[in-house]
Amino acid sequence: MFLALRDLRRGVRRFMLLGVVIALVALLSTVLSGLATGLVTDGISGLRALPLDRLVFQEGSDATFSRSILRPADLKRFQQVQGVKATPLGASFVNAAPVDGGPSLDLSMFGVAADSFLVERADARAALAGPPGLVLASELQDQGVKVGDRYTVGGSSEEYPVLGFTFAGTYGHTPIAFVSLSTWRQIQYSNPDDDRFSAIAVQGDSPELAAAAADTSTVVLTKTQAYAGSPGFTAETTTMTLIRGFLLVISALVIGAFFTVLTVQRTRQIGLLKAMGASNAYILRDGIGQMAVLVTLATGVGVAVGAALVAVLSRGPAPVELAPRAIATVTLALIGAGILGSLFAFRRITQVEPAIALGVEP
Amino acid sequence: MNHTTTALDVDGVRVAYPDGPDERVVLDSLDLRVAAGEMVVISGESGAGKSTLLTVAGLLRRPDQGEVTVAGTSTSGLSDRQRTTLRRDHIAFVYQSANLLPTLTALEQLELVGHIRGERSGTARARALALLDELDLGGRRNQLPGQLSGGERQRVGIGRAFMAQPTVLIADEPTASLDPERARTVVDLLSGAARERSIATLVVAHDDAPARAATRRLRLAGGTLHEVVEPATDRAAAGSVLGVGARVGTGG
Ligand SMILES: Nc1ncnc2c1ncn2[C@@H]1O[C@H](COP(=O)(O)OP(=O)(O)OP(=O)(O)O)[C@@H](O)[C@H]1O
Ligand SMILES: [Mg+2]
Repeated sequence: MFLALRDLRRGVRRFMLLGVVIALVALLSTVLSGLATGLVTDGISGLRALPLDRLVFQEGSDATFSRSILRPADLKRFQQVQGVKATPLGASFVNAAPVDGGPSLDLSMFGVAADSFLVERADARAALAGPPGLVLASELQDQGVKVGDRYTVGGSSEEYPVLGFTFAGTYGHTPIAFVSLSTWRQIQYSNPDDDRFSAIAVQGDSPELAAAAADTSTVVLTKTQAYAGSPGFTAETTTMTLIRGFLLVISALVIGAFFTVLTVQRTRQIGLLKAMGASNAYILRDGIGQMAVLVTLATGVGVAVGAALVAVLSRGPAPVELAPRAIATVTLALIGAGILGSLFAFRRITQVEPAIALGVEP
Repeated sequence: MNHTTTALDVDGVRVAYPDGPDERVVLDSLDLRVAAGEMVVISGESGAGKSTLLTVAGLLRRPDQGEVTVAGTSTSGLSDRQRTTLRRDHIAFVYQSANLLPTLTALEQLELVGHIRGERSGTARARALALLDELDLGGRRNQLPGQLSGGERQRVGIGRAFMAQPTVLIADEPTASLDPERARTVVDLLSGAARERSIATLVVAHDDAPARAATRRLRLAGGTLHEVVEPATDRAAAGSVLGVGARVGTGG
C-alpha cells in the first residue's frame, strides 16, 4: 500500500465526501443498534431478568402467555424430569385502578409461587408469602406510586396494596407486577384455588424435556425464543434488522460506485503501474487496501460519534441503550461491506491494458 | 552471457488495428535488434506506428505475428503474468510528459519502483537518493510533481527508469515538450546511461537533439524500419531522407 497511503494523505479532499458518507452511515447504524437494543430492553427486560432458562407453553400458543393454559398434570410431568427445576408461572396484562383516584396503571402481572426459584430475594419472598398484594417494577416508583397505595386490579373488586418495589423490568413494554400465584388466580379466574396457570418456568436442561413436552402437548422454548411472544417484539426486531441490513447494502453500493469511478479516473495510472511491472495483485492490494483504510477510519469516527450520541440519549426517556457487542458487530459489518463493495472494481482493474501508458497524454 | 545476447530482439513482427470491416496494418514483418550500450533513435511521420512499435518492444502489447526476445527470453509463449514480471525486471519507460504519479514526491516516485520489485525499503531509498543526487534533483526530492518544472519532472521520470536497472530503456518522444536546452540535458542523460550503464536504449523522437546523440538512426515507414544514412540537421532534412531509406534486417 505504498501508493494508497500517500494518495489518501495527500488527496484528503478527494476522499472527504466518501469518508463523510461512510461516517454518517456508521453513525446511523450505531444509533439504530442502540435503539434496537434499547427497544428489546424496554420490551422484555423483565422476562430477560427472570432466573429461568426455558419456558413451557401450551402447544400452538406461539409463546403468548394469554393463549397458553397449563394444568398441574403438565407441571408434574416436568417436575419428574431429572436435573431440572420446574415451577408454574401465571402471566397476563391487567389494568390497575387506584382506590383513591388518580391515573390507572397498565401492568404485566406475573403470578409466581413465593417459595419458587423465580423469587430470589428474601424480602420479596416474604412479601409474596404474606397477605395478597403487589410487588411492582421500580420504575413505577418514579411515577409517584408508593408502598401502601391500594389498587383494584383487572375486573375484580378486591383491593390490593402495593407491598414493595423491585427491579422487575418490563414485558410487552409494560412494567411488571409480581403477585403470588393464588392472587394471580383470584384476579384472572376469580378463584384463588383454580389450578390453571400460563406457563412452566424451567431451570437447567435435559434431553428428557422433549419427551415431557410430547407427553403433555406442550412446547419448550429457550428464554430468548420466548421473547417473540412479547407484544411488538418480533415486529420491532425485524424492522431494525431490515433497516440495518439496508444500511449495509447501501454502504457497500456507495463504496463500490465511488471506487469504480475512482478506478476509471485512474485508468492511465493503472496502465502506468502495469507498464512498470506491477502485477494485478499488487494493484488490487493497493486499491482495495486504500478503501479498507478509508472505510475503517470513517467507520471508526462515525461509530464513535454515534456511541457518544447513544450514551447521551440513553439518559433521556428514549429507549436507547449502548451495547458494546452490537456496536462491534456494526463496525465489523460496515468494514466488511466496504471491502466487498470495492471488489466491484476488480475486473475494471485487471482489464486495464498496460499499452495505454504510452498513449497520448490528455 | 548477457554480453553475447542481444538485449532486445524484435523479429518479424506484425500489428494490425481493426479499421471498420477491414484492418489497418501498422507494423509488417518488422525486425529490430538493439544491443546493450546502444542508443537507437527512431523517427517517422505521425501515425507511422512508432508508439505501437514501442508497446510491442516493451511487452505492453502482443504482436499479431512475430517474436520479441528480451534479455535472451522469448516472450511469445509467456503468460501475461510472466510478461509483467519480465517487464518489471528488464524494461523501463520514459514518457513524453514524464507520467509521474500526482500524489508521490520525487523521491517516492523512485522508491515505488523498488517497492514494486519487492526491494527492501532501506535499500530502495538509498538507491533513490543517490540517483536523485546524480540527476541534480537532491534538493527537490520532497516536491510533488505539481511543484516541479517540466524539465525537473522529466528528469524524475528518467530517474524512475534508471531505478529499475533495466536491460532495455524505451523512451517515447522524451524531449518533445521541452525547450532545446532542457531537451539536450535529457538526451545527455539517456545516451550517457546507455554507455555507462550498458542499457539498450530505444528512443522515438521527432526532433534532432536525440538524433544527434544516437549510435544508430532508423526511420519507420510503411510498417518497417529503414536505416537513415544522411545526417539530418533539422526536421525538414529528416523528412527528405524518405527516398534514401533502406530496409534493415533479414530482408536484405
Ligand atoms: N488502439 C488503436 N485502435 C485503432 N487504431 C490505432 C490504435 N492505436 C493506434 N492506432 C493507429 O495506428 C497508427 C499508428 O499509431 P501510433 O500511435 O503507433 O503512431 P505514432 O507513429 O506513434 O504517431 P505519433 O508520432 O503521432 O505519436 C495510427 O494510424 C493510429 O491511428
Ligand atoms: Mg506516438
